[in-house]
Amino acid sequence: MATYQEFIQQNEDRDGVRFSWNLWPSSRLEATRLVVPVSCLFTPLKERPDLPPVQYEPVLCSRANCKAVLNPLCQVDFRAKIWACNFCFQRNPFPPSYAGISEVNQPAELMPQFSTIEYIVQRGAPAPLIFFYVVDTCLEEEDLQALKESLQMSLSLLPPNALVGLITFGRMVQVHELSCEGISKSYVFRGTKDFSSKQIQEMLGLTKPAAPGPQGRPMPPQEAASFCKFLLPVHKVDMNLTDLLGELQRDPWPVPQGKRPLRSTGVALSVALGVLEGTYPNTGARVMLFIGGPPTQGPGMVVGDELKTPIRSWHDIQKDNARHLKKATKYYEALANRSAVNGHSIDIYACALDQTGLLEMKCLSNLTGGHVVMGDSFNTSLFKQTFQRVFSKDYNGDFRMAFGGVLEVKTSRELKVCGAIGPCVSLNSKASCVSENEMGIGGTSQWKLCSVNPSTTLGIYFEVVNQHNAPVPQGGRGAVQFVTQYQHSNTQRRIRVTTIARNWADAQSQIQHIESSFDQEAAAVLMARLGVFRAESEEGPDVLRWLDRQLIRLCQKFGQFNKDDPTSFRLSESLSLYPQFMFHLRRSPFLQVFNNSPDESSYYRHHFVRQDLTQSLIMIQPILYSYSFHGPPEPVLLDSSSILPDRILLMDTFFQLVIYHGETIAQWRKAGYQEMAEYENFKQLLQAPLDDAQEILQTRFPMPRYIDTEHGGSQARFLLSKVNPSQTHNNLYAWGQESGAPILTDDVSLQVFMDHLKKLAVSSST
Amino acid sequence: MEDMYIKPGNQERGWNDPPQFSYGLQMARGPKRSLLNKRAAPPVSDVEAPSLIPPSSDPLAPPPRGVAPPPPPADRPPPGSMAMLPPTLGPMESSRGSNSSQSETEPYVEDVMMILDQALAACRQTVRDQICNDVSKRLRLLEVSWITGKLSLPVRRRMDTLARELQSGHWDSADEIHRSLMVDHVTEVSQWMGWRGGLKRLNQAEKMSDGRTGLKIERSLPEATGSSD
Repeated sequence: MATYQEFIQQNEDRDGVRFSWNLWPSSRLEATRLVVPVSCLFTPLKERPDLPPVQYEPVLCSRANCKAVLNPLCQVDFRAKIWACNFCFQRNPFPPSYAGISEVNQPAELMPQFSTIEYIVQRGAPAPLIFFYVVDTCLEEEDLQALKESLQMSLSLLPPNALVGLITFGRMVQVHELSCEGISKSYVFRGTKDFSSKQIQEMLGLTKPAAPGPQGRPMPPQEAASFCKFLLPVHKVDMNLTDLLGELQRDPWPVPQGKRPLRSTGVALSVALGVLEGTYPNTGARVMLFIGGPPTQGPGMVVGDELKTPIRSWHDIQKDNARHLKKATKYYEALANRSAVNGHSIDIYACALDQTGLLEMKCLSNLTGGHVVMGDSFNTSLFKQTFQRVFSKDYNGDFRMAFGGVLEVKTSRELKVCGAIGPCVSLNSKASCVSENEMGIGGTSQWKLCSVNPSTTLGIYFEVVNQHNAPVPQGGRGAVQFVTQYQHSNTQRRIRVTTIARNWADAQSQIQHIESSFDQEAAAVLMARLGVFRAESEEGPDVLRWLDRQLIRLCQKFGQFNKDDPTSFRLSESLSLYPQFMFHLRRSPFLQVFNNSPDESSYYRHHFVRQDLTQSLIMIQPILYSYSFHGPPEPVLLDSSSILPDRILLMDTFFQLVIYHGETIAQWRKAGYQEMAEYENFKQLLQAPLDDAQEILQTRFPMPRYIDTEHGGSQARFLLSKVNPSQTHNNLYAWGQESGAPILTDDVSLQVFMDHLKKLAVSSST
Repeated sequence: MEDMYIKPGNQERGWNDPPQFSYGLQMARGPKRSLLNKRAAPPVSDVEAPSLIPPSSDPLAPPPRGVAPPPPPADRPPPGSMAMLPPTLGPMESSRGSNSSQSETEPYVEDVMMILDQALAACRQTVRDQICNDVSKRLRLLEVSWITGKLSLPVRRRMDTLARELQSGHWDSADEIHRSLMVDHVTEVSQWMGWRGGLKRLNQAEKMSDGRTGLKIERSLPEATGSSD
């Protein structure tokens, strides 16, 4: 392997893993001195078109508390047909079906290129996919019409044997029966009353009629499912359901002036979960909630119906003046946990100009792996296309979604697992490899991922537990195994196993090796996830201080400098970008709530803690490309100095795509040179960033907002607020008039940030 | 091709709404071009201020009076061409060389309806009445919409293609066209479309037209359709 960069890339491509350190410090003490924990970003179902699944069960270690999966790191005695587990050293006989193995006839799971392997296992009956639409009808006519059409459209994207269901709600909650032909029937629930799962099942006839007891008793799920008139295969009901959706009306209850419509979101969700619990527990299901405003009545209400009382802001929350916040959050957390237990995931599609209560409801999606999509209206291409992409398919024609995932992490003895950050819940499995020291969702070696897609990525944090006086022998390797069980969208049960190893290194004699094994991109995202996780429960400034302290300590550890001489400070190449990432992270909406509503903050954080490394890094430090007559498009610094009159800039912040035309370009465009045949090249220059933006627009989930602006345009602020303000109104004259664009801000620039960092890093007093 | 297009987003309702890609365009994505995911390296290994003066401008020069025109094309390849899309993905372009199944002429409602009606009639014996009637009701709606001029040309053409595919027994292709109609033209077609299940049934019924009862076919559907998808 030529360089660490190649090694890192190859590992990500093959195993979907990026570690902060690719050499591991051999003792606990040394590990803590490295500041950034040994940790990784792991994409359990990373798309691997070159990896055909094998059609047999994995071979497990026979030790009851190990059960690691046979992998290429295991030592094998081909003559005795025995393999030694690389995690617990147990010697295991191969099963009889492996009798024919030899050095030249090895099963795939022993070959080094299969460090990631996928098994198709035959367990239980294949379960259908379930899509349960829960639709708010308190929408404007135009929005409701657009939403109805999107829902009708989605029926044609579902596999014919998928089950669908429909609940609509406003002041009341209606569960629609889909089996009836000709007439439509529905069960109506009051939106103010909290029903238990059992009550819901009774009222919907999902329990046995009362025979001896006073009440009906619950039916076994299969039986209940066969009775269920609310979840039926698409191919049987699509005509009915298309008509039913087409005939949906706005909530008929009058909304007096000065009032919000009464929206029973809490009860509607509770009913949906009640139906699923009674009929399809532990089966992949998506509850898809479509809302056009905040819940305004019943359990889970976020704001009252008086329009004169606005929905809570960050200011209200800080002043402890958000009346419904705690109660509503608690209610939705309880629903989310119930849903997670049953393996059902909840999507929220919130389209409204004002807030809709995502802050209170975020746990529904965050704990169950559901999507959150936030838009202005259902009648936008942002919503319509994002919704279409939920049903996108992979190279095999299968949906890019999997259900009921369980991720288990196993480690070799020198390591323990501290926790995970991502769209998962703990399964409270206290294996011996679980650390006392929690980071993220800890205290377990297993997590449930109710819904997973190929880009779902978890941050997983480890601890080196070896004592300093008894370090691991040199040349040894530590290993981690990730075992992901899940229901594939084609209904197969599958298990994907990834086993990786890294060398141990003595942090005193080999610190330079460890330093060069640092993956600064992975480290930045992993530290950012820790920061965002903290920000959910701690005050913003505390999180920033924590992040700063970590950065200073890292620079003290790895910087080259003379004491108390900031000008002498240098960082090696493997750390050179890290301070920049932290600078932009500090300014990002993941840690700063200023200028964002609580819903927006929840939305940004939701996406940040689930995307893969590339996308996460774009969110931290947006990408900026420059187009000019001077050569092909090139990446440029995210800096005000890059904003030049004869350039077009394309900025990708993940949530927004901004095309910015420099002053001269904008004037040429206004003068219409692109229409003249002799300036064909100018026309092409204008077109190039549009084409590149399209490429991003066609793949990004969710669809980003798309901003086409120019020098002096009001929307140029999207660019100006992201670039490093190296030139401001304060230092304008020092810079000369023509270089870049001064930003009117008092924010510190990267240069000032770095100067302070250097000063603190080299100071003998810190 | 008229099923490959991009239309602007809804700026009235959505702030900075992105453009909308047609179903055909989303499906026909070619191999990925180089992704824009590079970052410029900071000026030196240590982070320092970027150079004060951009190379292309002279800070002492007077401000330009009026605007100089863009540089004329040189004999080198036009700049920006690195990023050009292959022609098949060009935006807003319509009617390119027709290697597709789209017919260039105005399709006739009679032809389309005849094929669809025939397909339905062929299934009458094996599929439950209720379903056939439902499908039939929608076919009449389609006919009325068509005759009264409520359907746009792209929809009429795609229906024509759908009917032909159905006639030749290309179920998967018909299903795909059905899907593209629902995605791209849901407002026009949702009232009388939505019979994909019906289409599937017709398909199954035709395959199994060996005297079994409609009910049996009904029951065997989930497995059968599941495996065919």
